[in-house]
Amino acid sequence: MSNTWLVYMSFAALLLFIGLYCLLTMRNLIKLVIGVVIGAKGFGLALVATGLVKKNIILAQALAVTFVVVEVCVVALALALIINIYRKTGSLDVRRLTKLKG
Amino acid sequence: MILEIALLCGLVVFSAAAIILRDLLKAAICLAAASLLLGIVYFRMNAPYIGVFEISVVAGMITVLFIVTIALTKTGGDVREAKAAEWIFPLVLVLFLAVDILVAKSLINKIPALESLPEQGTFGEVLWKMRTFDLVGQIGLIFAGVLGVLALFRKRSKDE
Amino acid sequence: MAFLFVALPLVVAGILPLIGKISKKVLPDVVANSVLIILLGLVFVEGRGLVGQAASIQQLSWLGEPVNIKLLLDGFSLFMLFAVSLVGLAISLFSIDYMDHYGSKANFYALFLVMIAGMNGLLLATDLFQVYLFLEVAAIASYALVAFGLGHDELEAAFKYLMLSAVASVFIMLAVTIIFGLTGSLGFEPVSQGLRALDAKFIVGLCSAFFIMGFGLKAALVPFHAWLPDAHPSAPAPISAVLSGLLIKVSGVYALTRVFITVFGLPPDLSTVLMYLGIISMVVAALLALGQTDIKRMLAYSSISQVGYIILGIGLGTPLGILGGLFHLFNHALAKSLLFLNSGSLQMSTGTRNLDEMGGLAKRMPVTAGTNLVGALSIAGVPPLNGFWSKLIIIIALIQAGHWAFALIAVLVSVLTLWYYLLIQRKAFFGKLNEKWNAVREAPFWMTVSTVLLALLCIVTGIFFAATVQSWVRPAADALVRGVQAALGSVGF
Repeated sequence: MSNTWLVYMSFAALLLFIGLYCLLTMRNLIKLVIGVVIGAKGFGLALVATGLVKKNIILAQALAVTFVVVEVCVVALALALIINIYRKTGSLDVRRLTKLKG
Repeated sequence: MILEIALLCGLVVFSAAAIILRDLLKAAICLAAASLLLGIVYFRMNAPYIGVFEISVVAGMITVLFIVTIALTKTGGDVREAKAAEWIFPLVLVLFLAVDILVAKSLINKIPALESLPEQGTFGEVLWKMRTFDLVGQIGLIFAGVLGVLALFRKRSKDE
Repeated sequence: MAFLFVALPLVVAGILPLIGKISKKVLPDVVANSVLIILLGLVFVEGRGLVGQAASIQQLSWLGEPVNIKLLLDGFSLFMLFAVSLVGLAISLFSIDYMDHYGSKANFYALFLVMIAGMNGLLLATDLFQVYLFLEVAAIASYALVAFGLGHDELEAAFKYLMLSAVASVFIMLAVTIIFGLTGSLGFEPVSQGLRALDAKFIVGLCSAFFIMGFGLKAALVPFHAWLPDAHPSAPAPISAVLSGLLIKVSGVYALTRVFITVFGLPPDLSTVLMYLGIISMVVAALLALGQTDIKRMLAYSSISQVGYIILGIGLGTPLGILGGLFHLFNHALAKSLLFLNSGSLQMSTGTRNLDEMGGLAKRMPVTAGTNLVGALSIAGVPPLNGFWSKLIIIIALIQAGHWAFALIAVLVSVLTLWYYLLIQRKAFFGKLNEKWNAVREAPFWMTVSTVLLALLCIVTGIFFAATVQSWVRPAADALVRGVQAALGSVGF
């Protein structure tokens, strides 16, 4: 495939990495959701870049738009959970959420 | 191409900033800025619809959701992130960037690919006619999201 | 017509909050349950229409113009639709009584129906992106449902579940994008043809790894199982039943199987990896289940173990193995939902989930004890209940394929499973009646109805297993074995 695609994909991979790093190491609950959003951005970039190279950018856009709707619903629910958790425990620290052991 | 790479670098910088910044409000603003840059990148890629969507929904709506949440959860003392995690981050990022570029260089011309279907008409046609089932899915998503948030914020007559 | 599977629950879910405002008590229950009954009937109608033809890709038409919604209806998806509708109905009946003290029942039913719609949509999807999309629909509904009680444990479990699920989604979508990049399309058939034309072993292997990580997390395979033992116990009992009995199977096992068998064609390396994952899940989860005192946690670990069995059977790849795996999927859906619903009855009557605190409840709650025994023996694999037959088929398939070690381990895990289930039975129901529970009463009407229904199904499926296998499971297995084009030439109806 062409170089353009690789450039875009490397950036998308970078964004996904940042998102994953955030999910793994951050302690503030809201930061965790920020990590999810960043990962979703990386992913949307990958989709549209793939569409660009395959000359089917319209289809890629339709998929990316649907994906953004998914992302919004997940974020809305996550934030609603966080607000409820804050009301229950008074803190946003993920280390406080260790009552259950996997 | 230079402009795109500059925009993408800006995108990565703002995203990294969104993670590192201690103040949540500033982090949310950085996230919005990153989304804005991504929207511009999409425009440059000839993908106007997703560009508009990204800017209005992600840079707009999600940022508003974040700001509302931040306002509702002002803690007495901020959550202290692990010091180590914070300053390891740039190092790890650069490391990953290096690995990324190396992998990309080695993959040039190695990935086989098929041609895709020819262009299928306008965006509206594709979304409504080709991917109609996706729209049903989107309706499901929106129901799930709205009902879920309503369920989580309902008034309870007696406590659990 | 098959579109109703998705459209009906979705539309009713939209109306339910309004109905809930009008009448809090009876109307939401009636409406929600009738939807599920209609879906169950629809399964039979569709099945009858499908006999004697190849898998049908249905094209809808709206007001004369063809609307481009293509739905894949073959033996496998019909089989799963049957399982979803059946178990969904039982759970929804159970919720009539159980969810009374949670408040906002109409909202609960609405979310539940959205989840059912999402699962059905996943089952009927014809391309990879739609699989992901409906997976997310069901998942988002489940996040809210797990946290429904708004207690500390539930919120914590729901949040962790959400985070891990988001990671899984990233992996799945990554794999889908790579495939899109390689073949330029997303539908099952074009992709499978495209991948055959290409010779991109490495990339396909990479995608398979991503799919395993993503779908494996959804199916709670070890080592991706960490969310399940927290999420299932904390959720309200009917939701635990839906999650364990249906969601992990639909969004995990079904999606995995569809992608790997229909699209990738199950190369031998992949088969080996799946079998190892299955065996590890079986053993590790069974061992972890032994040390639990919370009844729902024990059931959760058991789910992980049984999903290991299913993946083992399907991963084997031989027709008999797939048959066994699918049959076990069905049986486990019935039996595990039954067990979780019973745990809900126990929790409602005694207020605790701790096995050490219970004792001798069989005297006060005979129906619950009886149905629990049926469910437990079914999963443990005791004849003539259904679990026995499905496990037997898997073990025979393993022996036939020459995997003696695996077969032996499967038998041993079976024994282990029997042991800890008998432990539950003994601690909770038999023995001396603990003084605390002298005033305890049997579970309310609808709760007993649904558990008795599921128990009867377990027994009937076990006794008449040949007929069940012939009419439902074999077409599903055939559909898988022959890839996307399936001939549904069964003698079922």
